[in-house]
Amino acid sequence: MSITDMLSTAFLNLWRRKMRAFLTVLGMVIGVASIVVMVSLGIGIKQATIESFAGTGSLTTIRVNSWSYVSNGNGGGSSRQKELNKKAVGEIKKIPGVQAVMPLVETYGMIKSGNYMTDASILGVTAEQAKEFGITLSEGELPEAGGTNTYEIVLGAWSLGNFYNPDSGRQAVDKNGNPRISKDSRMLLTFDYRNVYKNQVVISMPSSDGTAQEEKPLAEMYKLKVTGIMDENNNDFSYYCLMDVAQLEKLAKANKDYVQYDSSKYNTVLVKCRNIEDVKTVKNAIQDMGYGTYSLQDAVEMAEESTKNVQYLLGAIGGVALLVAAIGIMNTMMMSIFERTKEIGIIKVLGCRIDNIAGLFLTESAYIGLFGGALGLGLSFGISLLLNQLLASSGLRSIIPAYLAFGAVGFSIIVAFAAGMYPAIRAMKLSPLAAIRNE
Amino acid sequence: MQDTALIDVRNVKKVYHVGSVDVNALRGVDLKIDSGDICSIIGRSGSGKSTLLNVLAGLEQVTSGEIVISGKHLERMTQGELIVFRQRHIGFIFQSFNLMPYYTALENVALPLSFRGVPKAARLKRAEQMLEVVGLESHKAHKPSELSGGQQQRVGIARALVTNPEIVFADEPTGNLDSNTSDEVMRVIIDILREQGKTLVMVTHDVHIAAFGDKVISLLDGRITDIKINSEARSIDISNIREAEVQ
Repeated sequence: MSITDMLSTAFLNLWRRKMRAFLTVLGMVIGVASIVVMVSLGIGIKQATIESFAGTGSLTTIRVNSWSYVSNGNGGGSSRQKELNKKAVGEIKKIPGVQAVMPLVETYGMIKSGNYMTDASILGVTAEQAKEFGITLSEGELPEAGGTNTYEIVLGAWSLGNFYNPDSGRQAVDKNGNPRISKDSRMLLTFDYRNVYKNQVVISMPSSDGTAQEEKPLAEMYKLKVTGIMDENNNDFSYYCLMDVAQLEKLAKANKDYVQYDSSKYNTVLVKCRNIEDVKTVKNAIQDMGYGTYSLQDAVEMAEESTKNVQYLLGAIGGVALLVAAIGIMNTMMMSIFERTKEIGIIKVLGCRIDNIAGLFLTESAYIGLFGGALGLGLSFGISLLLNQLLASSGLRSIIPAYLAFGAVGFSIIVAFAAGMYPAIRAMKLSPLAAIRNE
Repeated sequence: MQDTALIDVRNVKKVYHVGSVDVNALRGVDLKIDSGDICSIIGRSGSGKSTLLNVLAGLEQVTSGEIVISGKHLERMTQGELIVFRQRHIGFIFQSFNLMPYYTALENVALPLSFRGVPKAARLKRAEQMLEVVGLESHKAHKPSELSGGQQQRVGIARALVTNPEIVFADEPTGNLDSNTSDEVMRVIIDILREQGKTLVMVTHDVHIAAFGDKVISLLDGRITDIKINSEARSIDISNIREAEVQ
């Protein structure tokens, strides 16, 4: 029998018993829909967990620390430190899968504007690094090296709102709560607190030779030009103000009496991997170099592990409905074979091969699986849509990715096929003599 | 072997086990049927004639003995091989017609061709020719329920011959028909088979129908009791036979 004959004959056989076929398909529809909706909820839970982590940073970024924890194998362990210097940064850069490396060159300073000031954590970046690590601005442009007297800076996402008067402690906001300081205000940067807290009595500690610390001259104030504001969605970076890394290093060196800054080594180096899949190998390579690492993937993996069980449970609940539907298919096919005993005998006498007979019945079951799967998938999308509206506030979501959609239809055909196997074998074994008997 | 018989039956026995009782349906049958023979097997009910037909058509396995058709041993074949054998060599006419009720006459005739993988257009064309041969071309779109018994059996004949088999088996082909229609249907069967030079093995309990054959084999209690060569069969006049029976 040709395949087209097989397909059309099997379809006609189903069509002849529309009601029964419909009911069997309905069972499959419910089975498929229940498993798809359950699994989609599981995927929603997993997705929500991953997203909640991803919200705190990039999944492809590894944070490398000079400190690492070394397990001694019996539950204990010790910390050790290895210097993270420019040489180490160069080596990390060479690890396959590493897209970019950024040592965290950061320092702490104060920005003064009129009577107001704010504290600033300043991160030194290059335009290239900013791009690689996805640092984005809500407005303006990244800082450039600038002139000798003016220093370009990008303010942290919330910097403008954080200005306050150091004397009165009042926030620099108007009646409506809008910041008084704008990015066009005149701003000065200093690393010496005495430039800011001028009017306060400075508690001077006598030094060993009896002279007061105040003898130290006031540090310089630098003119700032705000070129932009950080985007609030920069995860780790939103809080930072940005300056060109060379400029920042220059300032830090000039103010080394006021800031702790050692340009020869870093506490933290950020490593950006090309793909999520690279993170693990890159991490291991860095650990082998003797540094401590942390990536969000660690957390995500743990979360995935813990949601896996929930997913299995949900899938199993849905699976029960599918199992019942599969038994329904088997029942339908068995009934159909008993009804058609004579017909099967006749086509055997007329020369229908037994593998064709089995094929006909398997095709019929597969049709039930196909229609059940397809309609069930349609129903699942409907339920999913409805659930997402009803559950919007609870944070639960139903997600049906493409692989689940196609997988569900494929799986339903396979289940139907398996359910049709036994009936098909029964049909193969029926005697052709049934055709001869005259009832 | 020197014999060239199309069908060669050698000491065939068939025993049914009914509960603890053995029923001997065939007790050693030897039979040769040549190509082109029109052959009737006649006997009372329980004589084993249907069993003989079933084992000849490969629908049942023999208990012992050999059945050789076209040089092939049926008793050594599996069910799957038997089906393929039937597909190639055998046409079958049933007592109760056994047409598929949801197919038209044309589709019913074309059905065996679909099992051989003949494309739809080709098999419908061939089926149409066969319906013409049995004189039913005007009824090709009718479902079996819209046809008379005689017409249904003619569709059955067309279906049996559509694959151009060497041998046609007929199991009481007129058993469900009245006597006038029976004669008409027998004429159709015999005429076509003679014209095409095919072999017919027909089972009947009706002496009158059996007389259509060149060779009439009588069966009683699972044994052949008589083989009559009917030389007049080729030009037989049914009305004469009927009168002869009455006398």
